[in-house]
Amino acid sequence: MTISRRVFVKSGGLALVSLGLDPLFVNRAAYALRSSTQSPAVLVCLFQRGAVDGLNMIVPHGDPLYYQERPRIAIPAKDLIDLDGHFGLHPSLAPLKSLWDNKSLAAIHAVGSPDSTRSHFDAQDYMESGTPGMKSTSDGWLNRYCRHDQEHADTAFRAVAFGPQLPRILAGTSPALAIDDLQAFGLRVPQEGARDKLTRAFEELYDGAATGLLASSSQEGFAAIQILKRVDPAQYQPANGAAYPPGRFGRSMLQIAQLIKAGVGLEIAFADLGGWDTHVNQGSSEGQLAVRLRELGLGLAAFAQDLGEGMRNVVVLTMSEFGRTIAENGNSGTDHGHATAMLALGGAVNGGKVLGRWPGLDPASRFEGRDVAVTTDFRDLFGEILARHLGAADLAPVFPGFSPSPQRFPGAIRT
Amino acid sequence: MRSRLLTVWLVLAVPAALGAQGLTPRDSALHALNRLAYGPRPGEVDSVARVGVMRWIEQQLAFERVPDVRLAQRERDFKLLDLGREELAQRYGDALRQRREMQREMAQSGDTTRPRGAGPMREFRELGGELQQLAVVRAALSERQLREVMVDFWANHFNVFVGKGADRFLTPSYIEETIRPNALGRFEELLSATAKSPAMLFYLDNAQSVAPGASPPRRQPRAPRGLNENYARELLELHTLGVDGGYTQQDVIAVARIFTGWSIDRPQRGAGFAFHEWAHDHGEKQVLGVSIREGGMDEGIRLLKLLANEHATMHHVSRKLCARFVSDDPPDGCVDAAVDAWHRTNGDIRAVLRAIFTSPDFWAPQALRAKVKTPLEFVVSAVRAAGAEPDSTLRLAQVVARLGQPLYLQPAPTGSPETQAQWVNSGALLGRMNAAVALAAGRLPGASVDLDEVVPATENYEALVDAVNARILAGTMSPHTRSVILEQLADVKDPMQARMLAIGLALGGPEFQRQ
Repeated sequence: MTISRRVFVKSGGLALVSLGLDPLFVNRAAYALRSSTQSPAVLVCLFQRGAVDGLNMIVPHGDPLYYQERPRIAIPAKDLIDLDGHFGLHPSLAPLKSLWDNKSLAAIHAVGSPDSTRSHFDAQDYMESGTPGMKSTSDGWLNRYCRHDQEHADTAFRAVAFGPQLPRILAGTSPALAIDDLQAFGLRVPQEGARDKLTRAFEELYDGAATGLLASSSQEGFAAIQILKRVDPAQYQPANGAAYPPGRFGRSMLQIAQLIKAGVGLEIAFADLGGWDTHVNQGSSEGQLAVRLRELGLGLAAFAQDLGEGMRNVVVLTMSEFGRTIAENGNSGTDHGHATAMLALGGAVNGGKVLGRWPGLDPASRFEGRDVAVTTDFRDLFGEILARHLGAADLAPVFPGFSPSPQRFPGAIRT
Repeated sequence: MRSRLLTVWLVLAVPAALGAQGLTPRDSALHALNRLAYGPRPGEVDSVARVGVMRWIEQQLAFERVPDVRLAQRERDFKLLDLGREELAQRYGDALRQRREMQREMAQSGDTTRPRGAGPMREFRELGGELQQLAVVRAALSERQLREVMVDFWANHFNVFVGKGADRFLTPSYIEETIRPNALGRFEELLSATAKSPAMLFYLDNAQSVAPGASPPRRQPRAPRGLNENYARELLELHTLGVDGGYTQQDVIAVARIFTGWSIDRPQRGAGFAFHEWAHDHGEKQVLGVSIREGGMDEGIRLLKLLANEHATMHHVSRKLCARFVSDDPPDGCVDAAVDAWHRTNGDIRAVLRAIFTSPDFWAPQALRAKVKTPLEFVVSAVRAAGAEPDSTLRLAQVVARLGQPLYLQPAPTGSPETQAQWVNSGALLGRMNAAVALAAGRLPGASVDLDEVVPATENYEALVDAVNARILAGTMSPHTRSVILEQLADVKDPMQARMLAIGLALGGPEFQRQ
């Protein structure tokens, strides 16, 4: 096999460094160039499983109650990265400050579910099904979006979840790929020639004998393998000196960037990251939560840097099933709460702002007397991004029983 | 006497009907082994055909009389089966406390590197993992195949999620004590066993449901408040009547009120069912137009009996059984036959199944190979077809999970649908091909295989492919598949390599994905 390497240079053009140029490779490069000029809108959803403490991520430092309620775990003013005089970023999110300043990063505070459950299991389920309070919904809202929005062609890579299983949010009848690792997708045969031969053999078997869903799914799979062969994930080099953090999350972000750049028709990407359930010793400027946020911040910053101009058509949205209690608990941690904060990043984002109506920490305005109240239904935020970024024509089938309304949109996308 | 006559009729009359459908004894034996069992082992199609397929089905229905010595021996490897709910709960509590302690120490020392995959939780997780592997081992090895299929069916119908809090230690006893003993018993008893099981009471939050305004006699720091409708709704929608079963939101609320007080005694100690009088709503209730008079816990028992005998329940559950055994969208004929049997026998699950297995729809040509295997069915049937032996580690269950079916880890109460769309996607299909090739190469994690026993290597590749067809695909290989495999073998010199390739392609190919 020829050893080839693509280097995207600052100008956005394409430079090729290749040993043994072959015609196939030139074709591949031409394809990459063509597709980079007509890149469609992409939504990347990141699920912070375990309920992130929104109050220590986007800190309401202007509210004295914040410091009263959290004597041991509040982020001291000296460590905070102030955003607007009232809110500040956790110091671990420092890599995101420049994105805030160039107005491609926004935070949406006091967002959450109308359902009051404090069970991780139920709340994640509701956030992914998009039908809070309704347990019997079998598919996820991202899948329903794909099913009802036929404008975008169903390519093999239209909707991809990074992980071993398809998450609830992408479950349903519309095709979606679950990829644990791009480099391992396909048949696992070490030697390339043997792998190609075996792949062709299976392809022929299914071409000739499969029917129905077995036939269409196998076609999608073999198409994806062909595309990945062209993309050549093993040889990927992030652009602009971007350095992804080590670990699963960084690798997922890198591979999402790679798929976007490869122009394979990616529209929806999903990844999750755990470790947010900080009941005990969650820490303040340093500690458990700080470590998790650092990984998140580094991963997002590397992604934005890697895509460069490509971020124009990309929105990254973080989400988490609920927030945590305003007051710290007896173990220097926080318990399950209600509203939390979400981040939106990308060229289309109405950035440099903390969006959503802030209900304050005053006991009278709290949910059930203890938690941040929800002032933005998560479906209004998700709906806004689907409508204004991806161009979804009709949100009714995506969020059954709910009508996301432009009047209630938090304004996360520039109009 | 009646049942003996019935059996005689089955053994004599049904084969004639099969002949009329154009099925040979081998066809019908394969079909029965695909649906009532996890696929044939080498030679098993012939042995079932020899016994007579209807006789074999009767044996499977009367599973208590089928010896299962080998499985019983293997079950001894599973420590989980020696531990009760209480002990599991205790071990889980200990692991949790130790983990918190470790986190506290780490936070204090400023050490933020979290050791992955290590720590006190690991041992408990491994023990918990036995639950999944046990399901795989039983499916692969049990001679009482239909019973294992039905345990899988009911565990899915009455789904609980092993990842939710106390269900981490309540699920093993749910499978052993609630599902398995009732899998071929009476539906009403199965339903009532699930309603009282700590695992279900916790999973669907009924343990938290109390009459509005009621409070416990002794003050508790986190005493539950108010009605929780979760179990009530799923009981009607999923377990019994079905979503179109004709109930209203008012019925859901009334059912929730009836079940107030059905709870668990100290779940963190693994204790069992408890009825809390203080939590019960003593008012009058109306469900489906029937008045349920005040009667404490007895109200729930009466309600379950009522629901088990509703026509909507019989239809909903029978249709789901037919979707499992006949086809994803089953014809009315077999559903009606099942419902009739249910009426006649007060919900004897064996009688309902017998009605399905003797209905013409079950044996119709369009039902043959109409269903795509689930990941569990695929992995277990491949292991059986290749004469492989599953080990007692978690690895084979992990293969099933990677193909899309992590066992007991379906968070939604719906469980998995009995239809192919759930299982077939491109990534999962490629995963099946990889698993097939790995099994043929003797590299599938968790399974050891001796292919010499099944298909001896030979330099005559035509003969090799014919043997793979006969022994592993039970004669279902299409001419197209045969020619593709032969083409692939053309430039393979080593007969061992050729055998591996032929078996890998056969198990990973389209024929073997169907049943």
